[in-house]
Amino acid sequence: MTTSTLSRRPILLGLAAAAALVAAPALAAPAIGKPAPAFTAVDSTGKSRSLAEFKGKTVVLEWTNEGCPYVQKHYNAGAMQGLQKSAGRDGVVWLTLISSAPGKQGYKTAAEANDWKAESGAAPTAILLDPKGEVGRAYAARTTPHMYVVNPAGTLVYMGGIDDKNSADAATLNGAKNYVVAALGDVKAGRAVAQPVSAPYGCSVKY
Amino acid sequence: MMRRLAGFLLAALVLPLSLAGPALAAPVDTGHLRAELIAQTQAIAPGQTIQVALRQEIDKGWHTYWRNPGDSGEATKIGWTLPAGWQAGEFVWQPPQPQPAGPLVNYGYSGEVILPMTLTAPAGATPGQSVTLRAAAAFLVCEEICIPEDALLELTLPVQAEPAQPAGRWAQPIARALEAAPKPAGLTAVFHNDDAGLKLAVTGDVLTGADMAESYFFPFDGAVIDHAAPQAIERGPQGLTLSLTPSYAFQGPEPPQVMAGVLKVGETYYEIEAQAGPLPAEAAGLGPPVARAGGGGAGLGLPLAVVFAILGGLILNLMPCVFPILAMKAASLAGHAHEQAAARRQGLAFLAGVLATFLALALALIVAQAAGAAVGWGFQLQSPPVVAALCLLMLAVALNLSGVFEIGTSLQGVGTGLASRGGLAGAFFTGVLAVVVAAPCTAPFMAPALGWALTQSAPAALLVFAALGLGFAAPFVAVAFAPGLLSRLPRPGPWMDHLRKVLAFPMYGAAAWLLWVLTLQVGPMGLARLLAAAVVLALAAWLYGLSQARSGGVALKGGAAVLAVAALAAVLIPAYQTPAPAGEARGAVAELPYEPYSAERLAELRAQGAPVFVNFTAAWCVTCQVNEQVALARQGVADALAGTGTVYLKGDWTRKDEVIAAELARHGRAGVPLYLVYGGAGAEPVILPQILTEGVVVRALQAAASAG
Repeated sequence: MTTSTLSRRPILLGLAAAAALVAAPALAAPAIGKPAPAFTAVDSTGKSRSLAEFKGKTVVLEWTNEGCPYVQKHYNAGAMQGLQKSAGRDGVVWLTLISSAPGKQGYKTAAEANDWKAESGAAPTAILLDPKGEVGRAYAARTTPHMYVVNPAGTLVYMGGIDDKNSADAATLNGAKNYVVAALGDVKAGRAVAQPVSAPYGCSVKY
Repeated sequence: MMRRLAGFLLAALVLPLSLAGPALAAPVDTGHLRAELIAQTQAIAPGQTIQVALRQEIDKGWHTYWRNPGDSGEATKIGWTLPAGWQAGEFVWQPPQPQPAGPLVNYGYSGEVILPMTLTAPAGATPGQSVTLRAAAAFLVCEEICIPEDALLELTLPVQAEPAQPAGRWAQPIARALEAAPKPAGLTAVFHNDDAGLKLAVTGDVLTGADMAESYFFPFDGAVIDHAAPQAIERGPQGLTLSLTPSYAFQGPEPPQVMAGVLKVGETYYEIEAQAGPLPAEAAGLGPPVARAGGGGAGLGLPLAVVFAILGGLILNLMPCVFPILAMKAASLAGHAHEQAAARRQGLAFLAGVLATFLALALALIVAQAAGAAVGWGFQLQSPPVVAALCLLMLAVALNLSGVFEIGTSLQGVGTGLASRGGLAGAFFTGVLAVVVAAPCTAPFMAPALGWALTQSAPAALLVFAALGLGFAAPFVAVAFAPGLLSRLPRPGPWMDHLRKVLAFPMYGAAAWLLWVLTLQVGPMGLARLLAAAVVLALAAWLYGLSQARSGGVALKGGAAVLAVAALAAVLIPAYQTPAPAGEARGAVAELPYEPYSAERLAELRAQGAPVFVNFTAAWCVTCQVNEQVALARQGVADALAGTGTVYLKGDWTRKDEVIAAELARHGRAGVPLYLVYGGAGAEPVILPQILTEGVVVRALQAAASAG
């Protein structure tokens, strides 16, 4: 709010408004209870994956950025890997998405993504590479981590944070309420997801 | 985690011993910011509450976060480790700055930020001792990437018997931070979420007349709105309404019932707590604020507005209500057609008259608007005494043109061709009169420029009005200055006397029209008063003429003056009775069945999804009346209204009406006519041109109905 920016502000506002008009459709938030936005993306093995191929299965979408301290909180303690494995045992499809643009924090080539998966012991069904941020924008993913759960009918049943502790401090993992675990439990039991939305927390997605 | 723990241990090892001196603290560099605890006083007394603060000095390009960090990020936190009995309060958050990051928006701080909080000493604290207070602060510091940083901070304060007063280096900065923090101001806030979107309406005394450009709502809860979505602002007489984009929280099973946060209005920040409920009407209706004019910003709109104003002024010369004045101008100019210098002086005097009047009107309008009155262009004809006085003036001018009496040598004109002092005054007066009468004819080019001008700063508005005057006076001045044009005018002769007497009749017409306007405003009693005054004025004019014909008719002149004053007084005093409510007894002006306009009725019809045609008109608006006759009162329009089931609402602005003035402003207009066609629910109305044809109206009605 400095004086020097004041005079330029009508122009900036105009640009912002124009940008918002362009950006708004891309960032239109997906809705709980509505079909999850369809997407196709290449995974770290070079295979093209789409949401449609997992119809009939519960799907978890996890946005990640290896360099983000909030992501590190969940990976360094092995918490995220544990979730992925336990979901896998239940037949849940886990897709980890990287929407960082090339040159930005968290961006990975296919080979780098495979290395990271091996080093960290991550166990997703696939790591999807979304360097243009198309899938990220379709889901209005804004943080890493940002979590979504799609039920077997293809309906979005959860979106938001991974848990209720907005902190990068690993100590907060203890006693945190994990919303994804709760949502998967509800879906498995055939119940409506009790808490279908929460505020996501973490670093911004580096579009 | 290990690194962090090691940091704490290290910090604990190097803690300085407590010293009985003034408040001591050491800044800690956490990597991308320097943090320290500061105090508003140099000491503390037992039981005293003082202000302390967490101060951050953040590296350039990096930022930390507000209590709601926005789309990502984490608020700065502090955890105190206090001796028994000591208490620290919560942060007093400073107004946040939006921090755009790609398609996301965060709320935070850059540069220096001071977050004050209270610190209370126990009653049992011992004066003379010194206490060291420790706090662990956690920051998320972000540039493009984010880094969590921690600082173990401490503050050493001597305990003294007497309550400590603000002193030292940080007394002023903390006071300023407390001053700048958002505060409640008795504002009433309500929000409503439906398919049309999430709207937040805020009303209160401090918002009446406030500059609402760049207003913005920062919610405390990060899940209620889309932080990156633009917030459309609509002004109201006592507040504003923001259109927000609802976020996650509204998709959950229990949508929020309370939405608290900080409202930025101009450069002021208020704390508000909005409850779910119906939106108040006084928080909307005046349209969006105009982008703040600052430096080059104003230059974007001003030149265009000035061009429009000059064009609008030119076109005003062609409007029907200016014609009688054009007639007067022609007569006056013809008198000097062959006297170059005199004609030029006349032209300039006319220009001066026009400019002075436009500026005076603009000033009056600005002052009235500042006072909160619902006024707009043509407002001078909303006052019955003004209309009556103008009517008498027109009559006097007409009688003069008819030759009943003469005014000095100014309008005598015929054959003399000499511009006396009176001649210049006459030309000036002609300019004044031309503007006053032309004002209600809102020419199409004029409406946007005026609508724009009335929302601008006073100098910009005055400039636009001056440009309007320039355009208006230009043809006359051009004729006065171009010898080529002048020499084409016929030579003076007896024809001029005939011309002058013919030109009297448009003036009688103007007087008759004003009489009709007054009748609509105040009813038959006003008619009787004005007609009686007109007869008395005519008698006065004749007596005055008689006195001029005879030498030294002083008694006659006196009698004429007394009668003229009496006539004028009769129409000005006493005040006209309070007119009947708007919309009543207006059937005579319309031939189509219509309902009186009200914002409630319009909203109701819109909610039902019914197509609506709204006509904002006024009896004194000639353009409106012409449209009424040539375009609206036609079988084709009647059929189209009936065929499409369109409801016809008429808003009569003959008298002041705040609701209509607000609606005009909402569509960027400062005057009538304004024609709106609403189609299906939710759609914005189509604004019809100010000059209508039957075809234009029929097509618009059918298009709106089929779209709906």
